[in-house]
Amino acid sequence: MTTIQVFDPALCCSTGVCGVETDQALVTFSADVDWAKQSGARIERFNLAQEPMIFAENATVKAFLERSGQEALPLILVDGEISLAGRYPNREELARWAGVKEVEEAKSGACCSGSSCC
Amino acid sequence: MKFLEQAPRFLFFTGKGGVGKTSIACATAIELAEAGRRVLLVSTDPASNVGQVFGVGIGDKITAIDAVPNLFALEIDPQAAAQAYRDRIVGPVRGKLPEAVVRGIEEQLSGACTTEIAAFDEFTALLTNTAITSGYDHIIFDTAPTGHTIRLLQLPVAWSGFLEAGKGDASCLGPLAGLEKQRAQYSAAVDALADGQRTRLILVARPQNSALREAARTHEELAAIGLNQQFLVVNGLLPKEEAALDALAAALYAREQAALSATPDALRSLPCDYVPLKPFNLVGLDALRQLLVATPSHIDAAVGEPVELHAPSLSELVDGIAADGHGLVMLMGKGGVGKTTLAAAVAVELAHRGLPVHLTTSDPAAHLAETLHGSLDNLTVSRIDPHAETERYRQEVLRTKGAKLDAQGRALLEEDLRSPCTEEIAVFQAFSRIIREAGEKFVVMDTAPTGHTLLLLDATGAYHREVARMLDAKGAHYMTPMMQLQDARRTKVLLVTLAETTPVLEAANLQADLRRAGIEPWAWVINNSVAAARPHSPLLQQRAKNELREVEKVATTHARRYAVVPLLSEEPVGVSRLLELAGRETEPA
Repeated sequence: MTTIQVFDPALCCSTGVCGVETDQALVTFSADVDWAKQSGARIERFNLAQEPMIFAENATVKAFLERSGQEALPLILVDGEISLAGRYPNREELARWAGVKEVEEAKSGACCSGSSCC
Repeated sequence: MKFLEQAPRFLFFTGKGGVGKTSIACATAIELAEAGRRVLLVSTDPASNVGQVFGVGIGDKITAIDAVPNLFALEIDPQAAAQAYRDRIVGPVRGKLPEAVVRGIEEQLSGACTTEIAAFDEFTALLTNTAITSGYDHIIFDTAPTGHTIRLLQLPVAWSGFLEAGKGDASCLGPLAGLEKQRAQYSAAVDALADGQRTRLILVARPQNSALREAARTHEELAAIGLNQQFLVVNGLLPKEEAALDALAAALYAREQAALSATPDALRSLPCDYVPLKPFNLVGLDALRQLLVATPSHIDAAVGEPVELHAPSLSELVDGIAADGHGLVMLMGKGGVGKTTLAAAVAVELAHRGLPVHLTTSDPAAHLAETLHGSLDNLTVSRIDPHAETERYRQEVLRTKGAKLDAQGRALLEEDLRSPCTEEIAVFQAFSRIIREAGEKFVVMDTAPTGHTLLLLDATGAYHREVARMLDAKGAHYMTPMMQLQDARRTKVLLVTLAETTPVLEAANLQADLRRAGIEPWAWVINNSVAAARPHSPLLQQRAKNELREVEKVATTHARRYAVVPLLSEEPVGVSRLLELAGRETEPA
């Protein structure tokens, strides 16, 4: 099964609500990760401020940090290969990588929980 | 003393700052150690003075108190604990990751969140870690001021809840990486706290209405989370004999007795001890050994001449504040020194001169409305309620950032918004909102106790750095709350203290902390001075004499300018008494 690894910048917490200004991208992504996991995706998140050893021990991530610096995070590896950097994936991308189906029902309710409006 | 009988393994002393927790905790430790028990005395107060009481340096390693066999002490310094935590995380990647990345991690781990969690980790380890604690019969906690303590005690419950919800990686538990490893420790800590055979909580209060009400609140909050084994100690009661000797002593005695008879119902069922007021400062072994014994204290026979103290009044200080026409006035200091009362006195004094004033507080234990007891033209009053502000902040984030989430995403966000850090952020935002008014009028702020205030300033600093990073790049003009606090033309910080050794030392430490943050206190205010009240009772005169040395220290070494506020025979409640406190004559009714 595909493994998606997300290497976050140094955060207080995964939604960033502990920071002085809550980042919408983090809030949305945290919800998307939760959704994808519920749909069966295997996703791991690592926070640079909490688990820096995991960054240092992964040759791909370490090289990326040396080349581009922490400003270029987040970095997303899919089965160990760089698939995205500098922004968080949306729900569609997560679904494609993980090979799960985006359920129509998840989009109802709010104006746009997916990527198709607003 | 009832609270000493059949003492269990864990003894917690809690109460507002300045009520004498440390003295009583130290005296208890001495008593138990001298009875042959092995005792570990632990302070979790960010501004601990256990070392000073025993005249030895202690710090974050268990240290034997040589003068008392069987007695050991430990001061959990949250800053040092946070540093150790940072080292543990960052140490292994030094040299492995680029230097800039390592610096970024350290910066992220410098916030209030890390500090709180690191200190808490050490605290729960002492309740559970047998390797460290098995050698001791008693572990005595001289805890931090009330609000903070309650939060620490509530955290294990809240966090166990998070963990049981099963979202190991999702919750916003800040730097608590590898949470599962801690799970057993937190749950064992909760068990120990809730077990009356193992844990006794001693609420310490002064014989004053506000202190007793505060103790009642603490009692209820802690009983609600399962700490049911509670005792009450009323410290510093004026002996009846003194009341016969002069008018001030008689008024104080009557005031204390009235406060005791108005003891909140919640406290009446608790076993209660009374510790009489002593004429001496509670520093050193001899003084501490006498604290818990009932025998009358020896009073210096040479006392007789009334003490002369010539010092500026608060009203004179307010002259200097009023001259600028507007600005932020912040009263800072340890809990229990009377910041709320003095903030009200400064505000009333300014408003009385016809100046527009907004008086506000973030102290969770504040009783502003009661202190003011009435209203005055030009004066508006508000309160930053941490609970209300946190709720408002949560709703705001859910409404804006959570707007586009589905039900499950919202639930996740809501869970993160229950994080212990949210309150700091919420209070900080309310604080920033209010101090903006100081451009047009006077804003008088009564801040929460020292440790909390410093955390707040930390948040202000972090915010400042963030804004500066974004706006410097654009070349924009901006003014952060931190810059406002550092600007002497906009902000005057008044450091409040009592004329006693420990409070003066603590105020001096706070002044040093503020200076490190680029904030220069404008003046010191010495509150509740017995000397300024010119007493005749021998006990009060002895205390007045002791005060003179401390006032001298403040005037000559610590303060740029200062004022002394006398102890009043009546509680300083209401506009006319607040004006009296400031040093002006009460106006005819």
